Amino acid sequence: MIETPTAARNDTADLDSADVARVLAGDVGAFEGIVRRWQGPLVNMAWRYCRDRGRAEEMAQEAFLRAWRGLASWRSESSFSTWLFSIAANVYRSELKRFPAALPLDEAAEPSAAAVQFSEFEQRGQNEALRRAVLALPVRYREPVILYYFHQMDMARAAQTMGLPEGTVKARLARARDLLRKRFPHLNPQAAAGPILSTGKDLSR
Amino acid sequence: MKSETQPATPLDAIDRILASDDPLVPSSGFAAGVMERVRDEATAPPPIPFPWMRALPGIVLVAGTIGWLIYEFIRTALAGALSGALSGTLTSPIAMPHISTAAQQTLVPAFWTAFALVLSLASWAFSRRLMRRSSLL
Repeated sequence: MIETPTAARNDTADLDSADVARVLAGDVGAFEGIVRRWQGPLVNMAWRYCRDRGRAEEMAQEAFLRAWRGLASWRSESSFSTWLFSIAANVYRSELKRFPAALPLDEAAEPSAAAVQFSEFEQRGQNEALRRAVLALPVRYREPVILYYFHQMDMARAAQTMGLPEGTVKARLARARDLLRKRFPHLNPQAAAGPILSTGKDLSR
Repeated sequence: MKSETQPATPLDAIDRILASDDPLVPSSGFAAGVMERVRDEATAPPPIPFPWMRALPGIVLVAGTIGWLIYEFIRTALAGALSGALSGTLTSPIAMPHISTAAQQTLVPAFWTAFALVLSLASWAFSRRLMRRSSLL
């Protein structure tokens, strides 16, 4: 995934800097190196925003184009990946504002008590229900969840990508986790002993 | 890999599930598709700039006309209000006692035309601003 050992990350940063320099010098083809290196992370990030493969690729393509247009504005003192993820987050956010991800709330509902048994299939269904429930969160809580887990639980990088203070992201993430715990009480260790009920409530309330 | 800024509570089921999302592999033609669009943009001619120099005389003419009409309106409205106050009667702000009836008949439609022009201009500017905000421009 994105988190690589330091040496590998430095290599990637060097390659990015070199490709950017070549693109700015007029070699359009050098941008392909950047696309090939970052297509996985950007498509995966978009996937977490909409959970629709086709749309994720469209949004990632738009993010790459936006990055290409603004390549001259990247200051090499900041990390290229952080800059790229910030652009992508802005693109995804505005795309979803214009055309929200179609997520019927019943799809975001947790499985019933009987379904929370231990078959692998049902476990996967439950996991997917939780991931889809993230899309039903209000956007201010949804984005920290997406970026925090996308960045493999690195709060600082999630905050940098969103352009928000770390404390704000931390508070929003805590609130988001509370909402998810209320929605999926059987995943809450404190409520594990209690009955599992399907509330059917809208998470955005 | 967890950083030092992990949640206060240990990893719970929610963390485990959300962190273990299966990675999506981009389709094989994705990078080629992006590069095709990038090359299209790179080879596309630059957008034609708005011909400000050619439009300048028209803009000046329209602005001058609107300015003159506004000036005339304010002047006549003030004169009407003043004369109304002096004679102790209130008259309409569009009443123009010092101008002949024939001239008034020309000026009143001109005022409404100017008003419509200003309103159109404001509406155009507002819609342009909205489009820019939604990044359509």
